[in-house]
Amino acid sequence: MSNAGRRWSLVAGALLTLLGAVAVAVYAGIYNVAADVPHTQPVYWLFETVRDRSIASRARDIVVPNELSDPARISSGAGQYAEMCSVCHLAPGMKRTEISRGLYPRAPELRRKTDLTAAEQFWIVKHGVKMTGMPAWGVTHDDKLLWDVVAFLRKLPELTQEQYEVLVKNAPKHEELMQERGGRHQHGDKHE
Amino acid sequence: MRKLPLRNTSLSLILIVSFAGVPLTLALGHEEHHAECNDTAINALKADIQAMGEGEAKTTARKELEAAQQSMAKNDTEGCKNHIHSAMEATEK
Repeated sequence: MSNAGRRWSLVAGALLTLLGAVAVAVYAGIYNVAADVPHTQPVYWLFETVRDRSIASRARDIVVPNELSDPARISSGAGQYAEMCSVCHLAPGMKRTEISRGLYPRAPELRRKTDLTAAEQFWIVKHGVKMTGMPAWGVTHDDKLLWDVVAFLRKLPELTQEQYEVLVKNAPKHEELMQERGGRHQHGDKHE
Repeated sequence: MRKLPLRNTSLSLILIVSFAGVPLTLALGHEEHHAECNDTAINALKADIQAMGEGEAKTTARKELEAAQQSMAKNDTEGCKNHIHSAMEATEK
């Protein structure tokens, strides 16, 4: 066998050994999937990077509506946020909940400023994120309602507790919004 | 005038009921800052810190967590609790 052939055999052998070791580790259940034991930093970094890059690449072509600062949209989003999101993502003046304390990875507190674009936020709200507890709201809500939530999310970091409470108090009720819209995909919204 | 004893009794009752709730309220308020020194608390803090954005608060929380782990290794439970408490405060900033 030539030197090159021997080298390739060694590489193939090493790869097979590595794959075998990974298969044994997976089958033996070595990796702890408990939510109360965090990933090691390299594993956390890997998952975070995979998640961030996946979202960024999929949200790139989403067209953001112009009227995200419309008070009606923000109000609609506030009601939905209070009902569907605040139990995990909290809100101004809200203490951590049992769910927010136990979720892993932790659900981000959305009252804090974010680097996410509106398109990325919309994508996350619509499609959810695997193995994080973030559901795909697009299964049950149409795009217009989800953009209302995004409109509110853009405003959320500026809100005080009082402003948040007033917004939620005056917001249309989630059930009413759903009934008004007659369920999902009834209004011919363009879906990304 | 004949109703005065009843009014006094009612007032006393209201005052007793009002003040009876105070220790409970204080206890609930204090619960938020309650720190334990065990693996569960350390792991929960690690998860909280992982989720933080880079910045001064995260650096502080990391340092306090490391100090808590060192105290725990030395069986210094009070020191460990204090550092965990400080780390928890940093994660809330």
